[in-house]
Amino acid sequence: MIAAVLVLLALLRAATPILYAALGGLLSELGGKINVALEGLMLVAAFSAVIATIFAPPGLPLALLPWWGCAAGLLAALLLAALLAVLHLECRADLVVAGIALNLLAAGLTVFLLAELAGDKGSTARFATPALPALHVGGLDGWPLLNLLINGEAGRGHHVLVLGAPLLAFCLWLFLAHTRAGAWLRAAGEHPAAAHAAGIPLRRMHYLALLGSGLLAGLGGVYLAMGYLTLFQADMTAGRGYLALAAIFVGRRSLPGVCAAALLFGAAGVLATRLGSLDLPPQLLAMLPPLTTIAALAAPGWRRLDSSKRRKQA
Amino acid sequence: MTLAAMSTFLAPPGARRALAAVGVALLAGLLLIACVSDEPLRAWLILLTGPLPELRLAADGSWHWRRLVRFGTVLQDTVTLSLLGLAVLIPFRARQFALGADGQLFLGALGGALVGLAWSGPGWMALPLAAMAAMLAGGLWGAATGILKWRCGANEMVVSLMLNLVAIEIYRLAIMTWLRDPGAGFPATPFLPPQASFAPLIANTGVSAMLAAAPLAVLAVALLLGRTTLGYEIRVTGAAPGFAATAGLPVGRAMILSMALGGVLAGLAGFHIGHAVLGRLPVDLAPGLGFEGLLVALLARHQPRAIIGAAFFYAWLRAGGQAMERSTDVAREIALVLQALVIVLVMAERWPWRKESA
Repeated sequence: MIAAVLVLLALLRAATPILYAALGGLLSELGGKINVALEGLMLVAAFSAVIATIFAPPGLPLALLPWWGCAAGLLAALLLAALLAVLHLECRADLVVAGIALNLLAAGLTVFLLAELAGDKGSTARFATPALPALHVGGLDGWPLLNLLINGEAGRGHHVLVLGAPLLAFCLWLFLAHTRAGAWLRAAGEHPAAAHAAGIPLRRMHYLALLGSGLLAGLGGVYLAMGYLTLFQADMTAGRGYLALAAIFVGRRSLPGVCAAALLFGAAGVLATRLGSLDLPPQLLAMLPPLTTIAALAAPGWRRLDSSKRRKQA
Repeated sequence: MTLAAMSTFLAPPGARRALAAVGVALLAGLLLIACVSDEPLRAWLILLTGPLPELRLAADGSWHWRRLVRFGTVLQDTVTLSLLGLAVLIPFRARQFALGADGQLFLGALGGALVGLAWSGPGWMALPLAAMAAMLAGGLWGAATGILKWRCGANEMVVSLMLNLVAIEIYRLAIMTWLRDPGAGFPATPFLPPQASFAPLIANTGVSAMLAAAPLAVLAVALLLGRTTLGYEIRVTGAAPGFAATAGLPVGRAMILSMALGGVLAGLAGFHIGHAVLGRLPVDLAPGLGFEGLLVALLARHQPRAIIGAAFFYAWLRAGGQAMERSTDVAREIALVLQALVIVLVMAERWPWRKESA
């Protein structure tokens, strides 16, 4: 039982960055603008968060340091998303190609600045950088299992961003389903011409979709650098942005579906590390997460084709 | 002929914009270097001129080349990047955002090395067979992405990226478990036998007869896209998928074959790396070359004839960046930044502050 809870907690931690990015991707996808740059957005946010804490202004109180880094990370992701939005909406660049190019730009820029600012091409490991705080609920010592579930291993509590992810998913649902701006955004994505005819400010909705996704993906990046780990590594997102993209397709563009897909991808990652104790070549285990993703992407389509064939035969 | 007409004749508008983007990006590079370096101008000049070979008069009165190895690196990388650029270009022309060139390169290199190491027949057949094995491996891996998209509707970008990860692990697994040379100081395959590797044309570099592969491949792809039925199907599928489907064109076949052909070229790039550049396959062959191929294809604006120029420019920046890192305080990764920056500038179809002309 304890072991199961431990695995569950590891799964949540692994799924959190993917979930943030996937929520961001979902927001822009529903606004009709697919955001391929999630990977680069996360990377830039993670990098800026850590670098900002290293080069923090001297008078900053220690307790505010992680929040200062978090703000810097979000700002950087927002700027990159703004670049993507301007390139696509003002300069008419192809959105997918621009997204891919910005991912490559982010990968190069973070490694270059890492080498120049931190003096190390691999990581910022030689600097001690803070994590965002964890929340601890007191008075649960009598119930060990509940304590473990709510406060994590050794009662350290859960990272704010781990707790924030489901909260944010709920907020996103509220926004999309119950606010005027959310309805406008979905309309702009579903049928731009009709939305335009109805007087919905299309351009503003598209900017909102792309900038919002930048902010959400940025949160995922900040969690990677100030929670999951407490440093920045070159290419530390390791494809999570693309996994988030996959989660949108696997989740069929619905909020619960996307959350479930993000959890699935988190689970595949945890499983691959847990199986590391077995006597298998590590390369085989490393294939597990990508193969899971491919299977998850391909399986629904396979069934759909089969059923349509069956209908034809009937 | 007026000056404007002459410049249009010499360089079509697309190429002019690409050149302008390159110029702006290089200036932005100077700015970026100035932010981090103590001697920005010197670093910038080394970045731009580092790969240039030098003709020197020796003490005994004879001329000889200096720094030819660095220029050779540029040439060998031009071949790799040209092939990878074409590998990305073909699916892009069918509007398939398949980014699988990286994995296809790894499997191509592995397939080529397997044949090169195992072949015991007539020596002259070793290289062609290895090349074919490399192209087959890359092509099949590319087709897998296409089939998964056509049969299951799986997004090709994500699938190809995931297949990259799988391919790289297959490559590492094969080298660690079956092909490892116990005599080598690091995990790698044994050296390929002389019959299965290219002799260098410039000493100590990977410049070889494979140099001819780049223009030949460009020619083949240009002919394929411009002069064959399949090429027409690929272009129409990319430009107007709805029309292609309504007109009864085999959209699925064009899609799958475009990715398979891209895989063939990426596999050939892997063959070039194994048989001409390195001569053996180390287990930690760095991933990411496929993405530079993507940048090459974008800078060439999906035109086969512009591929070699774009590849040469990127190979030049790579070598220049390495030269700069060795002699100044600026990291070579600035080349990556500039490469991506060029693309961001090239991609903009119009500038908002300029009135539309058409």
